[in-house]
Amino acid sequence: MAKKILVVDDEHAVVRYMTTLFEDHGYEAIAATDGAEALKVLDETVPDLITLDLQMDKVWGPQFYRKMSKNQALKEIPVIVVSGLARPELAIKKAAAVVSKPFDPDELIRIVRDLIGG
Amino acid sequence: MNRQTILLVDDEEDIRLVLSVALNDMGYDVLAAENGEEGLRLFREKHPPIVITDIKMPDIDGVDLLRMIKEEDPDTEVVMITGHGDMDVAIQSFQQEATDFITKPINVENLEASLQRVHERILAREKLREYTQSLESMVYRKSEELAGLEKILETENGGPLAGDVVRRFQRLFDDLPCHVVVMDEELVLTAVNRKFRRDFGDREGELCYHVLKNMESPCTDCAVQATFSTGGSQEGGGEITTPDGEAHQVLVWTSPVRTSGQTPTHVLTLYTDMAQIQKVQDHLSSLGLMVGSISHSIKGMLTGLDGGMYLLDSGLRKQDDAQVHEGLSVVKEMVGRIRNTVLDVLLFSKDRDLRKAGTSVAEFAEEAARGIRSLVEEHGIAFSLECPEDAGVFQVDAGLLRTAFVNVLENAVDACLEDKSREDHRIAFRVRGDEDAVVFEVEDDGVGMDEETREKMASLFFSSKDRKGTGLGLYIANRTVRQHGGDIAVESEPGRGTVFTIRIPRAAGTDKDAPRDTVADCREGS
Repeated sequence: MAKKILVVDDEHAVVRYMTTLFEDHGYEAIAATDGAEALKVLDETVPDLITLDLQMDKVWGPQFYRKMSKNQALKEIPVIVVSGLARPELAIKKAAAVVSKPFDPDELIRIVRDLIGG
Repeated sequence: MNRQTILLVDDEEDIRLVLSVALNDMGYDVLAAENGEEGLRLFREKHPPIVITDIKMPDIDGVDLLRMIKEEDPDTEVVMITGHGDMDVAIQSFQQEATDFITKPINVENLEASLQRVHERILAREKLREYTQSLESMVYRKSEELAGLEKILETENGGPLAGDVVRRFQRLFDDLPCHVVVMDEELVLTAVNRKFRRDFGDREGELCYHVLKNMESPCTDCAVQATFSTGGSQEGGGEITTPDGEAHQVLVWTSPVRTSGQTPTHVLTLYTDMAQIQKVQDHLSSLGLMVGSISHSIKGMLTGLDGGMYLLDSGLRKQDDAQVHEGLSVVKEMVGRIRNTVLDVLLFSKDRDLRKAGTSVAEFAEEAARGIRSLVEEHGIAFSLECPEDAGVFQVDAGLLRTAFVNVLENAVDACLEDKSREDHRIAFRVRGDEDAVVFEVEDDGVGMDEETREKMASLFFSSKDRKGTGLGLYIANRTVRQHGGDIAVESEPGRGTVFTIRIPRAAGTDKDAPRDTVADCREGS
């Protein structure tokens, strides 16, 4: 069965970009436009990987990550931070990877493969 | 701190002596020269970043010296000393990019103020350079990708889509406020933009040097020919003559156009009027403000643009019509948004008039606070917003003023982060008001400032070394608040924190129709 990736980003174009990119590479992709929505998604489904924007209006990246890692069932899910902020690596220290916007799609796919295969 | 060197050129011994002493007192090392020739020799030998020169001197005069120095190192800041009635020479120097003027008789205050402007320019230029370099390379990459996209569309889909992309490029060039031409290897103009057509007329098919220079043969140092032979971009200065006979100093930038293979078939050339650049430089400071905030949003938009192109590309490969169209509309949206952002920068740099509208004080405060909520949360700083619900309405340019407040609030966060003496910090943002004005207070218990720092703060580009950001924040905040007819006061003590008090008149200067609600003082409790 295809591995499932949750894309969290408040920019519609970026969400469509990433979900299509992942689907084109054989993954199943679901999306949320902010941290609050992403937490709701996690109530119902457990993805294999999460890509996370930092700057979002409702529940921004680090806050989402803190809440998510309190849940034993979710805390081991690898998170890739994808952000245009200046020093994104500082925001979530335990992130599995950090990718700066704008990103190279091949590079992102390579990182995803390294983390969850497929 | 390193002492900076100033080259002082004046043929009057008394003036050299007096100014040298004054400049020494201000902390500069002074190289003095008694004429233009010696000045140029010292300049070549020591490369001082700042030059102060008299205009009237025998042999090489100040304007000549200015031109020669600018040719050797355009980044040198040159301050001209002018006498009364030297207006013509002053204008001439301005066109040659003199930084500033001091009028005789010279007093120390004027000299100091002038050097302050020099330093502001140096800082502004550094910041702008950093910024444009990173942004330029990014935009450059994107345009290459767009060109690639154009190729895909031509080969795989052809027809209307390809035409659309070509038209979009045409529009982009038409919108640029500089002259853009494309020429072939014979230096024949094959395409021009709207501004070019307006200033030079319909000259496609004619030779470049006929049209731009009124000459019978190409220039000896032709940047376009260099681009054809090296295949690389060229940058330089030059002069073009409009049909009305007026000569314009221009910056020339060329870029090779390749349709297939490595050899350029055409060269695209941009001519930007120096006079225009000068205008823009005067607004460098305001541009600086945009640096932090727009680079983040532009990165977002470029990612969106990438997304649009990916959807298009992958849609074409999968022959998924819906996805192709989605991609195209994303590209359209992103190009539009990038254009608007660029326009915003241009507008902002033009000292634009305030776009005032009746704004709810409470909503405004909430909006401004939202700008730093994630930041304070990340750093564990306690933040409180105290604002009465019935704070009423004021007439302001909410977008502009919000930026100003976020700057002040961010400054408070920085002050807390800088204070390593303890772990827990708090910032209070309070709003109160009366019939005529709304008063905002931003109080932090961070490092605080001594008197010297407080004084410096009012000047441009104040930021202490460890702090991030553009260093323009407080300057811009101050400017915006004043534009609204308000004022900023600061109380601060080292180790005890800082209180900024910002007062904005409800009618914000001119508009008398602002609604006037009574606002209770909310200092206590709420």
